Amino acid sequence: MAAKDVMQAARPRNEAEETVEAIHRGNVDAVVVQGPSGPQIIMLQGADAPYHVLVERMSDGALTLDADGSIVYVNSRLCALTGLSAQQLVGRSFASLFAGPVPQQRADDAVSDAQLRRSDSDGLPVSVWMRQMAMGGVAATLVTLTDMSIQRRAEEVATAERFARSILEQATDAVVVLALDGRITHASWVAEQLAERSPVGQLFSEAFPLDAQSASQQGTLTRFSRESLDRALATKPFHGVEVALRNERMSGRSFLLSGGPLVNDAKDTVGSIITLTDITERKRAEEQQTMLVAELNHRVKNILAIVQSVAGQTLRTSPSLPAFNKAFSGRIQAVSIAHDILTQTRWIGIGFNELLTTVLAPYGVGEGRIAIEGPPVLLEARLVLPLSMVLHELATNASKYGALSAPLGQVTISWRRCDDRNRLELVWIERGGPRVERSGTRGFGTTLIDRVVRFDLDGEAALDFEPEGIHCRLTFALTAETSPEHPPASAVQPD
Amino acid sequence: MTATAMEQDGYNLRLYVAGQTPKSLAALANLKKLCETHLPGRYTIEVIDLMKDPALAQRDQIVAIPTLIRQLPEPLKRIIGDLSNAEKVLVGLDIAPS
Repeated sequence: MAAKDVMQAARPRNEAEETVEAIHRGNVDAVVVQGPSGPQIIMLQGADAPYHVLVERMSDGALTLDADGSIVYVNSRLCALTGLSAQQLVGRSFASLFAGPVPQQRADDAVSDAQLRRSDSDGLPVSVWMRQMAMGGVAATLVTLTDMSIQRRAEEVATAERFARSILEQATDAVVVLALDGRITHASWVAEQLAERSPVGQLFSEAFPLDAQSASQQGTLTRFSRESLDRALATKPFHGVEVALRNERMSGRSFLLSGGPLVNDAKDTVGSIITLTDITERKRAEEQQTMLVAELNHRVKNILAIVQSVAGQTLRTSPSLPAFNKAFSGRIQAVSIAHDILTQTRWIGIGFNELLTTVLAPYGVGEGRIAIEGPPVLLEARLVLPLSMVLHELATNASKYGALSAPLGQVTISWRRCDDRNRLELVWIERGGPRVERSGTRGFGTTLIDRVVRFDLDGEAALDFEPEGIHCRLTFALTAETSPEHPPASAVQPD
Repeated sequence: MTATAMEQDGYNLRLYVAGQTPKSLAALANLKKLCETHLPGRYTIEVIDLMKDPALAQRDQIVAIPTLIRQLPEPLKRIIGDLSNAEKVLVGLDIAPS
């Protein structure tokens, strides 16, 4: 046998002895053994000590399961998460850790969400990672659990923040949130528009310089210096102070300033929520309403005076009660139509053409009996009632005695502007009716036309009873120089 | 040093470890220190982690970890343990103390 072969033969014994000696002396920390599927590494006691330290120190919960799903190891973080000791946990089933579905290992090595039972409180949201592996020839499952409650809380806070922001964005009022030092921390879109830029970071008094709207509230505002106003706004509740913004773009606009405390979960006041509501339109509407009520009062009194006068005069000139009834109803109807027009046009006025069409509708204005012709003219509201009454008188007379009482009679109405366009001339001509014979007496209709035109319309009326038909010429001012405060002439008793 | 000289004088060493166990880390540190002291520029170290591929243990019939194999110069020699006893390692690798 060659010397080399002798060495080869001798080596296994020496190596075996050396290996045993090394293990005995603690010089090795793992050995290789032949397992069913090839060599396996078996760690000797203490070899994985660093890993144990790491696992014990990690911020995630960690545990190991045996093939039956029983817990064989837990780290201290898992004890803290569950509120149970390692002794209580080892030996329990993995499933008993969870409220609800038990997490399973996922093929893509991803985490799954679960609810960890706790001994002292509600379940804890966790994300669970699992992997099966062979440890020294034995199947085991490694599991880590990550506490998701902080992340969930952060998500909830972010959601609440988004929610609050969307409310701010949608608010039609200017809304700002003040910190206790009076500085703006949040502002709605409308508030940014009012301040002409983002007011966040500014003091409220810098972003929104205020003036009081009324003398009594001037006192409320001037009681505070600028600094103390900011502090007061940030700490004291108040409601409904009418203010204006010292801002050229916002001059003439009125705002309602209100504020209330902003409290946190612990019920501590951490600032305030201030709203500036633009009440310019509301105030304008209130003023208009007050004015309208006064105007209505005035007009109702006038109408009652007119009705009273018309009733008395109609009664005096009516031969019988049925004749009174007919004449009075017609005149009141004319007043009513005039008021319908005023209401429909919101007391703004009406085109002359439209007025004629409406008032003369019962007399066949659309049927070829009455022809109307003239330029477009807008009548002021104050002209509507007197003109309606005059036109009614003319039309009633025409249908009873004039052109409209005969089958082929016609009325032609024409108008034009005159006197530098400030006045209107209206001509009413009747033709084709019975021959007109002038009687000596003036009826109430004639008197009414004359007075209304003179006093209510500031004009003149020329009424000619020509044999072939009535010829009436009215001229009146289109614009009043002063608004008459006295009752209309139509209400004045005739001579 | 020429390639021939490297073949003649160089040490090809192979260290078998099991992950980052304390003895494996100690063995690697001790080996590097010893080679730098006694074999500067004349050695190569190949580290084989059997945790990653246990089957590689068969190649050099490894039974305990850490184990150092001297492939070259022949004959093949092995030293088991963390190589903390420098004198024993020098003798085992046939390196004369410098």
